[in-house]
Amino acid sequence: MLQLTINTLALGAAYALVAMGFVLILNATNAVNFAHGALVMLGSYIAFTIGSLLPVVGLLLLPLLLIAAAIVGLLLYFIAYLPLKDKPVTSVFISTISAGVIFENAVLLIYGPEPRITPPVIGTSAFKIGDTVISEQSLAVIAAAAVLIVGQQLLFTRTRLGKQLRAAAQDPDIAAACGMNVGLMVALTFAIAAALAAAAGMFLSATYYASPTDGANYTMKAYIAVTIGGWGSIPGAVIGALLVALFEVVIPSLPALFPALMQAVPHAADLFTMTASTIALFIAFLIVLLFRPQGLFGETIKRRA
Amino acid sequence: MVGAISFRRISMMAAGIAALVAWPFVFSTPFDLRMYGIAGIFAIMVLGYQFIFGHAGALALSQGAFFGLGAYVTGLMAVNWGAEFAITFPMSIVLAVALAALIALPVLRLSSHYFALATLGIGQVIALIAIEWVSLTGGANGLAGVPLPSIFGFTVARGWPLLILIWGFVAIGALLSWQIMRGFYGKACHVMREDEVVARSLGIDIDRMRFTMLLLSGAYGGAAGALYAHAIRIASPEALEFKTMLACLTMVVVGGRTRIGGAILGAILIVHLPEWFRFFDRAYLIFNSAILIALLAVAPEGIAGVIARLLPRPPSSHAKVIESVRGEEGTLPERRGLLLPSVTPILEVRNIVKTFGGVRALDDISIKLRRGAITAVIGPNGSGKTTLVNCITGVDTPDSGRILLADVDITGIRAHDVSSRGIARTFQNLRLIDDLSILDNVAVARFRAEHVTLRQALGSSIQDKAQARAYAHAQHLLHRLGVEDVDRLCGSLPYGVKRRVEIARALALDPMVILLDEPAAGLNESEQNDLAGRLQDIAADGIALLIIDHNMPFLQSLATYMICIDHGRLIAEGRPREIYQNPAVLEAYLGPRSAPLAAE
Repeated sequence: MLQLTINTLALGAAYALVAMGFVLILNATNAVNFAHGALVMLGSYIAFTIGSLLPVVGLLLLPLLLIAAAIVGLLLYFIAYLPLKDKPVTSVFISTISAGVIFENAVLLIYGPEPRITPPVIGTSAFKIGDTVISEQSLAVIAAAAVLIVGQQLLFTRTRLGKQLRAAAQDPDIAAACGMNVGLMVALTFAIAAALAAAAGMFLSATYYASPTDGANYTMKAYIAVTIGGWGSIPGAVIGALLVALFEVVIPSLPALFPALMQAVPHAADLFTMTASTIALFIAFLIVLLFRPQGLFGETIKRRA
Repeated sequence: MVGAISFRRISMMAAGIAALVAWPFVFSTPFDLRMYGIAGIFAIMVLGYQFIFGHAGALALSQGAFFGLGAYVTGLMAVNWGAEFAITFPMSIVLAVALAALIALPVLRLSSHYFALATLGIGQVIALIAIEWVSLTGGANGLAGVPLPSIFGFTVARGWPLLILIWGFVAIGALLSWQIMRGFYGKACHVMREDEVVARSLGIDIDRMRFTMLLLSGAYGGAAGALYAHAIRIASPEALEFKTMLACLTMVVVGGRTRIGGAILGAILIVHLPEWFRFFDRAYLIFNSAILIALLAVAPEGIAGVIARLLPRPPSSHAKVIESVRGEEGTLPERRGLLLPSVTPILEVRNIVKTFGGVRALDDISIKLRRGAITAVIGPNGSGKTTLVNCITGVDTPDSGRILLADVDITGIRAHDVSSRGIARTFQNLRLIDDLSILDNVAVARFRAEHVTLRQALGSSIQDKAQARAYAHAQHLLHRLGVEDVDRLCGSLPYGVKRRVEIARALALDPMVILLDEPAAGLNESEQNDLAGRLQDIAADGIALLIIDHNMPFLQSLATYMICIDHGRLIAEGRPREIYQNPAVLEAYLGPRSAPLAAE
């Protein structure tokens, strides 16, 4: 049970980083960044590349990774958002979808389709508490993600830059009238979001491997997390991410938790896989949408654009 | 523009069709024919996608799922049971439509972000199922050995016969799409795409219309998928991959979102692009996506749109169209003045309350509107005036209280039903569809009165009678409001004319009540006087007017009754003169102990 909790927290912490970046861009541009999952995937590959050049633990690579990813985020801003910011919002959707495809195929061209593994944050050893095996990686991911989440919160709530970033997202016209460079703020938001996504990529791919086509999957999960948590809310995104992770960790481990299930349900081995949990997650999510279109904890007043 | 087709357009179309027919004679190797067949299949898929993405303006990412499902249905039935094309093809369409209906249930009401992502997710789930359910679908390898289509025992051979079959379906699909969209139904779709709030206020049931559009997309997607399985002889997860959806999206953006020629052009271009740019090799998807972003920035209307923009606008022939329905029922506005005057209120608002979060936007408001009366609602900014309009028009539902129209309870019914029952409105911030003509903008309000539906659109003759009657009706109203030269696009009109077009549009609904949200805003004094005269004329017909405005001189001469609300409460009502002297009103507007308002 403890092991399940830690696994859930580790996965949820990584998803939370993805979902937070997704919300930041959403709030700043009013548009969904369909390339967000591709940013996670790119993060994995950048971490893999830096890791193969500098054979040290992931924690030491992290600052380099964040900087590199921030540059990628700026790149995304310049190709997919800036040329279209005055066009209808679906144009930005399509352009970020296209940017995601560009990233995916660029990685495919450079690295090929084989899955890659990223360096662990500190190590891969595991230790035992009683009967449960706890991996060092899971704990390190939880800790590192927590630091990043808190860091992001501090940046946004306690610093002048953070206030400008929030102001530019909340009301670009007023912010511009107050003399802020809104374009710069949106660009910085892309950079921060990409950095968070890349960190998540490194954390996730140390356990689950990375392949160039992972992007869409991560985008979907960020979307589900953000919708469950309430469109536009950062704390909501973190909670939503934890719920998504809970779903993914618990469903495949149901047969282990309840051995009777294996006998009771035919084809149980096929039904409780990771893929099956993704399908189940999505169907559950659609049912939620059917009955509560505003999300589980969603906004009540604000109309969706 | 209206009804008849100009010579230039006919010659463009003839040239296009000639080019399509000539293509396979010029590029006639088996490989070329195969590519051209694939292009035709994608053209069908894109024609379908135009319904939901182009005409309804909703970014659905489910077209790939319809396509893939169509391919799998045909593949499974043909491989496992050796079923005939006459069975597999309709089944592919039916099941894709069923999937569309299923998707529509949870996601259709969602707004753009949610809609795009939710439809994308459904596509992903179906792709996962296709890969995982190995016993049914052959898993990642797919179902190989899909036979060529067999029609009544005759196998359609590859090469020319298959090509003719595919392009035959392209022609059918294109004609069907043209028939549905060329007339009144297409106009209503245009309004829905540009402004949902306006569409609802004109009695257009946009949920239903979007639903229809998604089902049509599904049908075309399923049909294209079925042909695809026959053409490439395999049903595989590749058809369901996001790449397929992306190809479709690229085609529609490159070609054009609403034009039939655009769908075909986009499909041919994007299918052949990897061949023409073979030196890009595996990087072609990168190249493809880069083109897409560039086009979005430079020419979002697509190639067909650019061509249409470069051609001059064809001269309008609506006069002839209107002449053709002269004297028919529905071409002339009713004169409601013939109705007997009555003391019973036509619209009665009883004790309505509306709260947003903790704020009581409307607190126990009651209003009665009588036939022919001009009632003004005044109140400071944020006092709840707009919420009142929204509650009456069905945009918001009051928390408690009732709204009665001619003694029928209409509380909580949907906006498009409210307007069709006889409550019309105009908008404070002028919501006309800029790229439609004045006449079109007004005529669309006849949508409900003319009973326009998909079936009506499918059955309409070359001259859409419903549209012609609507034009005749609209022209009368515009004339009455002093708007001439009705073929101008609304985007370029001066402010005062736009106001009058909006009022004409409201009148076209044959309303019992018209709500006017700040009709005098932005008008100069002579325009205001002109407007006041026209409004009195409308009221004299027996229509109840409710005017929300701040402009005291304008209201003082116009309103027969006045209501003042503040902080959601009704603080005073009576004749305008009484209201101006009322201390509560003065306090609400000017703060406590102020000079009388009339001194301004």
